[in-house]
Amino acid sequence: MSAPSSTPAKKLSRNDYAIGLGIALVYIVWLLATARSLGFSRDEGFYFNAASHYARWFNVLFESPSRAFERSVIDSSWASNHEHPSLMKSLFALSWMFFHEKWHVFSDASTAYRFPGMMMMGVALFTTYLFGTRMYSRTAGIFSALLLGLMPRVFYHAHLACFDVPIMAMWTACIYVYWRATVEGGFGWALASGVMYGLTLETKHNAWMLPAVFVVHAVFASRGTIANEIKKGSIPVPASLLAMATIGPLVFVSLWPWLWNDTLPRFQEYVNFHVNHEYYNIEFLGKNYFGPPSPKAYMPFMILATVPTITIVLCLVGLSSRARVAFDRVRLALPALLKRPALATDVARPAADPSESDLLVFLSFAVPLSVFLLPRTPIFGGTKHWIPAYPFLCLFAGRGVELVLDAVKTTILPRIRSNALAEATPIAVAAALLLGPLFITSHSHPFGLSSYVPLVGGSAGAADIGLNRQFWGFTTQSLAPYFQANAAKGASVYIMDTAWDSWLRMIDEKRLRPDLRGVGSPSEADISIVHHELHMGEVDDNIWVEYGHVNPDYVLTHDGVPIISVYKRTTPKRR
Amino acid sequence: MSDEDIENSPNSPSAAPVSIPPASDAPTPRPVVRHPPLLWLLTALPLVGILELGAHLRQTHDVVPESDWQAAKAIVEKKSLANNDLLVFAPDWSDPLGRRYFGNELASLESEGRGDETSFARAYEVSIRGKHRPELAAWKKVGEEHAGAITITTLENPAPATVIDDLFSHMREGGMTVSHVDDHEAPCPLVHTNASSGGLWFGPATPGDRFSCGGTSVGISVLHALDHSARKCFFAPPDKANAVLRIRFQDVAFGSLIHGHHGLQHEAERDKKGAPVTLTFKAGDRTLGKAVHLDGTGWFGFEVPTPELQGQKGELTVEVSSTGAHRRHYCFQADTR
Repeated sequence: MSAPSSTPAKKLSRNDYAIGLGIALVYIVWLLATARSLGFSRDEGFYFNAASHYARWFNVLFESPSRAFERSVIDSSWASNHEHPSLMKSLFALSWMFFHEKWHVFSDASTAYRFPGMMMMGVALFTTYLFGTRMYSRTAGIFSALLLGLMPRVFYHAHLACFDVPIMAMWTACIYVYWRATVEGGFGWALASGVMYGLTLETKHNAWMLPAVFVVHAVFASRGTIANEIKKGSIPVPASLLAMATIGPLVFVSLWPWLWNDTLPRFQEYVNFHVNHEYYNIEFLGKNYFGPPSPKAYMPFMILATVPTITIVLCLVGLSSRARVAFDRVRLALPALLKRPALATDVARPAADPSESDLLVFLSFAVPLSVFLLPRTPIFGGTKHWIPAYPFLCLFAGRGVELVLDAVKTTILPRIRSNALAEATPIAVAAALLLGPLFITSHSHPFGLSSYVPLVGGSAGAADIGLNRQFWGFTTQSLAPYFQANAAKGASVYIMDTAWDSWLRMIDEKRLRPDLRGVGSPSEADISIVHHELHMGEVDDNIWVEYGHVNPDYVLTHDGVPIISVYKRTTPKRR
Repeated sequence: MSDEDIENSPNSPSAAPVSIPPASDAPTPRPVVRHPPLLWLLTALPLVGILELGAHLRQTHDVVPESDWQAAKAIVEKKSLANNDLLVFAPDWSDPLGRRYFGNELASLESEGRGDETSFARAYEVSIRGKHRPELAAWKKVGEEHAGAITITTLENPAPATVIDDLFSHMREGGMTVSHVDDHEAPCPLVHTNASSGGLWFGPATPGDRFSCGGTSVGISVLHALDHSARKCFFAPPDKANAVLRIRFQDVAFGSLIHGHHGLQHEAERDKKGAPVTLTFKAGDRTLGKAVHLDGTGWFGFEVPTPELQGQKGELTVEVSSTGAHRRHYCFQADTR
């Protein structure tokens, strides 16, 4: 009988690092190649603005270092968007200063702002590959990384100067470093764990959930030691956890100048902002949710509706194979625990894994998701708020691919007589597993948030059952051809859900016609747009009254589903 | 450790105790071994990927072309829609496309912002993807035509109501008057300015043609109701607790009842925290009936029996009041039948 392997960490070769870097590099090039065709989301507008404030401080730091540490200088720059930590916005600022302003690597300022986020996607892919390869095999590592990159929502968010993909990357990297610390031991890895945790805290507040992963894992993995030490009267704490609890907060505060003054009140303000975050509107199954209780089905349903189905199936295969290993371990360990004779069994004894890697991966996957089963957790972010779970979903999927390929080798290849066909079969299997996610992801651009997988009928099927069409107003840029052909010179445009900073950047970078004038209401506008979300229909209704007709001049669609309606004022305003 | 070491590690999957050699020897014919069904099931998983890819290609190419919309419009145009004919698009989300392609002559505010369907004798349902409007489920299907991927279904209302007088038709000089009653009754003049609206959360647009009462006004606008439907209605938001907006409709032709609906803008009533709004119908000094709107009930229908007034013409007074004025974005619609 076949017994699944356990997962003591394997060593990697230089080739492995090269493969991981290669996957990351190709993906970053793909992101850069598609960046200009993707409009700016609301939050990007805010972060562009914050980064420009932070850039002022970095300029002071480089030109007059001592002045940069004066409270007035710090506060005037770092007060901007102080509800989120500063690491990514600092990187956006530095990237803009060097890659756009100084070295002219990127002609668009926005691409320079977005570049650190794209690099973070590279980190996520690289780390996922390393994780998969060390835990299972190179095949699993490669497919884990590829399946992560071939998720439409991940592809969309990976373009942005936002924090969602960065926290996914840092969440994964922090867990990876902690895992290495657990496996390898030693001061260096423990120190690295502390620093990584600080950087993760400094990326986004999801990091405050990581102790739920580490503490549970550490207690389980060290249960024998803990029991022995407790008998001796002491409670052992793994060095990596100690480092995270001490160095982590130090890194967090030291990299966030806003916290350098009035540290505790400002930290309290930061906590309060997120604990009492307002609920935005989001449609789910035809209903507009705007407050608690959030529907428990939201997270699982949205994963099914937005992650390619083959990836989910492979994840279930990988997950069940690891669950079987865990089950076998428990079954074999029980007699000893109960002081009874060992079972007569044909189950192969899984290799020992003192680092309890399976548990760590499962916790890393489950913790970001479990929060969304709580009734008070807001759901307005769509899938992006549980995105840190996805690399671990893909690790299981990578293991699933490995099992599929192994099954093909075992069952089908022996029956094939042609050498060429035998060689082509695993490639064809790999293609069959990857082409769907590749086509779906590629097709989703630049409507990543409107994209749904075939399981729910694609974008049109999702519209039928009432799933959110989009948010953040980034699709405005896709109207550029319409404006080019139809807007009068100097026309005023009601920009609806587009953030002002996002609109201005699109104008600055000539993504939209520079003569267009953005305005704040249909009353002021010659042309008004409506981003289709359920609760935003009121803007349609207002425009009908304002313009005296109900007929859009143009409807921007994705796969036939309305994304934006554009109305033109057809009768002049009264004087 | 070399690459080979990794692949041949005792924990790699190929080291699992299966009874055949590794796949690199696959081309050489060998005795066939019986394998557990689970292994065969795993070999079928690539089919899931292929099916998903196929479904994706099908779904993304299955988009209704503009030519079908134009052909569907031509079919409906030939029907010469009457005033009591209804044009609807199914599913709901295709409505912007329908309005774009069919234009204002066919897809009008009267149809799009209807109070309900009871007064329409006939409906043309323009549908894609085999979807239908649930509100027409009980209507009798009398015809079906196709324009490519679009189906135009003609439906008949089994019991259409006859409207005698629609209060919207009184929205003109001499058709109605409005006054604001607080400490005293102050007339609200009819003004003709530009409509005004803001962005999200502004509330219903303030119409250009309206009776202006200082802090509030009365005029025809479009409500975004709690169920996110659009409703053409008299926007008459109470601006002060217990003050009254008194609307006098002149020369109303009465029937056996007054039929109408009322509601508040979705975000004004969705928290269910606002004060009730009362709509009172009067003929002379006599109260005909009241309809009280409670937050959370959405676009809600009411009927006020007027059998004693049937066949008569006269003034109908409608009073809007509330015990609170915070975010009372109130709107109503009524006719006589």
